[in-house]
Amino acid sequence: MLRALLYLRFMSGKNWLTVRWQRLRQPKYLAGAIVGGAYFYFFFIRSFQGVATPPPLLEAVHSSLPLDVVPMIAAIGSLALLAIVALLWLVPTEPATLGFTEAEIAFLFPAPISRRALIHFRLLSAQLRSLLGAGIMMLFSQRWTFIGGNALTHTIGWWFIFSALNLHFSGAAFTLSRCAALGLGLWRRRLGILITVGTCLGLTCAHLPATEAATALAPANTWPTIIQNALILTETAPLRWLLWPVQRLMGPFFAENAPSFFASLPAALALLTLHYLWVVNSAVAFADTAIEQAQKQGTRHAAWRAGAPLLSDPTRAARPDPFTLAGSGRPEFAFLWKNLLSTWRYFTPRVFGASAALILAGCLWLSRADGAPEQLSVIGVGALIFAGYTLIIGPQFARQDIRQDFAHADILKTYPLSGWQIILGELLTPIILLTSLVWLALLTAACSLPNTAHPQLEISLSLRITGIIAIGLITPALVALQLLVPNAAALVFPSWFHTSRTRGGGPEVIGQRLIFFFAQLLTMTCALLPPLGGGALLIFIWQGLLGLTAAVAIASVFVLAILIGEVAGGIWLLGAQFERVDLSLEIRT
Amino acid sequence: MIEVNALSKHYGTFTAVRTLSFQVGPGEVLGLVGPNGAGKTTTLRCLAGIIPPSSGTLRIAGYDLATEAIAAKRTLAFFPDEPRLFDYLTVRQHLSFVARVYGVRHHEAIAQPLLEEFEIATHADRLPGELSRGMKQKLAIACGLLHGPRVLFFDEPLTGLDPLGIRRMKKSIISRAQAGASIVLSSHLLHLLEEVCTHVLILKRGEKIADGTLAAVAARFSHGERHVNLEEIFLRATEETPQ
Repeated sequence: MLRALLYLRFMSGKNWLTVRWQRLRQPKYLAGAIVGGAYFYFFFIRSFQGVATPPPLLEAVHSSLPLDVVPMIAAIGSLALLAIVALLWLVPTEPATLGFTEAEIAFLFPAPISRRALIHFRLLSAQLRSLLGAGIMMLFSQRWTFIGGNALTHTIGWWFIFSALNLHFSGAAFTLSRCAALGLGLWRRRLGILITVGTCLGLTCAHLPATEAATALAPANTWPTIIQNALILTETAPLRWLLWPVQRLMGPFFAENAPSFFASLPAALALLTLHYLWVVNSAVAFADTAIEQAQKQGTRHAAWRAGAPLLSDPTRAARPDPFTLAGSGRPEFAFLWKNLLSTWRYFTPRVFGASAALILAGCLWLSRADGAPEQLSVIGVGALIFAGYTLIIGPQFARQDIRQDFAHADILKTYPLSGWQIILGELLTPIILLTSLVWLALLTAACSLPNTAHPQLEISLSLRITGIIAIGLITPALVALQLLVPNAAALVFPSWFHTSRTRGGGPEVIGQRLIFFFAQLLTMTCALLPPLGGGALLIFIWQGLLGLTAAVAIASVFVLAILIGEVAGGIWLLGAQFERVDLSLEIRT
Repeated sequence: MIEVNALSKHYGTFTAVRTLSFQVGPGEVLGLVGPNGAGKTTTLRCLAGIIPPSSGTLRIAGYDLATEAIAAKRTLAFFPDEPRLFDYLTVRQHLSFVARVYGVRHHEAIAQPLLEEFEIATHADRLPGELSRGMKQKLAIACGLLHGPRVLFFDEPLTGLDPLGIRRMKKSIISRAQAGASIVLSSHLLHLLEEVCTHVLILKRGEKIADGTLAAVAARFSHGERHVNLEEIFLRATEETPQ
């Protein structure tokens, strides 16, 4: 029977590859495959062939690492893995499932196959996925030359880690299901686990030698000190005992050479075998929950292909109105109202206000603590990086716009609204969400950076206030401009947009995403050049006459005006495109 | 109310609808019938302003759909075969959203009777994911009727409805026609068309084979026989007509 199931898996894989190969005849896939292939070659394959030298920055970083960096990373890695294992016991709320698809349930559950054979089938399938994940991770870890080993040992090392985590996940879920059947409630279980973890940490601290206890338990202000203290704890029982199996599992990955790799294999294999036996023997009735889970998964993927965020839950509970929506008024706000209902329930003005208050209070508190300037500068720079990332990457995640509603485009087209009204209405929610996040990040930076010890960052109060207000005002326009690009891509190239939302990746899909990313970068550069160039020129002209603060204010107004003009033009053009797009050609016939 | 003049729709070299012309007056219910791939859904989508026609003119309630699209769309409602609902809006929230889009003031007074008419009032605070296929269909219909459209396009309106729902739907279509609405109804359920339609239009491979009142079309294909039903007429029309 297992042979039939493996045949299913093998043929599915073979056909998956064939379909991907055949669709390269279409230009959109071929272009993606070329770009994706080039990306893989230049970033990963060349390093195998020894053609490429490591980037100078990477080389400099590697040479500056301390000698004991590998044991340190191994210790931190084992701690992280232990934390993940603890979460596998702490977090789950759903009964155990093995991740069957709807098709597998339809064909295999009524078939004359034993439940044990089904479990074997799923576990073996999961091993193949682990191997694929290991191969991808190896492409990254291969560049960490300081670790030692080679591509093969890294792949096998990653596979041991992923496989064991996967098996532990199933084993823990089955065991928890058994416990629940015996009457152990969710919160009692969580309390028990937290007490166990707390006791373990407490005993570890109690076992610390007096000399090390003073160091390890002392308040730490810097990251190196925090890591050093954590390392001392990992070498002390009982935490050391708990980490022992985890470290054995990671042995193959951290093996420097062939002898150490082979020496580490028996322990890792034994652990994996024990996990496998544990899962197979602890499996409980999973049919009902597997069906429910598969349906949820199917709905989620269907929603994602239709444009909803990947992590959205179509089975979520109903939510109260974000604000009262009257029957009359600007129809664009109906879209804002509707799309706010599709976001996380935490995106509310109250949460935004509370976050702002927390940031202010936190920065004030930190500024009075020891070592404040260093920590605040780290926080400030981190907040600026976060703001930048939110601006650049945010539009890919905040899809509460026409991309999410593309599946309903036929209904939207029957509404008595102009195209630009629909586009504007659809854009309002992501603009508000991303602007709020950027504002919070800028608030953090504004509260942190003025207190830094860097003299070059010292700027006058008036200029600081002007700058903050200017950036705050420009942010929504900038966010809107950023959002216009992916929305334009979805409307101008709907088939490309839908292609990027098909299941199952590959170099061609990665290539398509890269093309979209570079197109967005190029468009934004072109869109930002006129306002930023003009703004810089205005500052240059006016700062001698009116001073820097006034010049910045004048330039900001100019930048804002140009950006608003660009956004308005973009919305109008997209609206026209929405009215033109022939849905029957793009979505369904 | 509905005037279609020389409507054509091409997809590349394929012609889905070819120079189609017809009219539907107030109080009339036109049944659009034809084999699979005849161009029924394409015609309805063109009429609802979802897809642009390749050529031809469409007037809805006196408004040209090409030049006065918004005014035309205020008067119409389109009901697709598959209910297209927003996953994260409850039944009541769907109606609030549609009310704002169409500018329906005090919509609660209209929405509640609609919810009761379609027997979904008790599910008003549920999400589409918690509704059956038939209830979703009823919600989509309630949303379409909220703004009191004078022109209605139904694409397979009975799919997923239970027997009682089917009866109510038929009554609803007839009562709206009697109130003066112009209705186009596409369906493969010929007995439904016989019950509710005043006129019928038979399409085959994008071309009109016959149209007119049920009696007129029946007379054309009955070959002198009496009491020939629409199913027989349809089969004869689509088999006899060469392409």
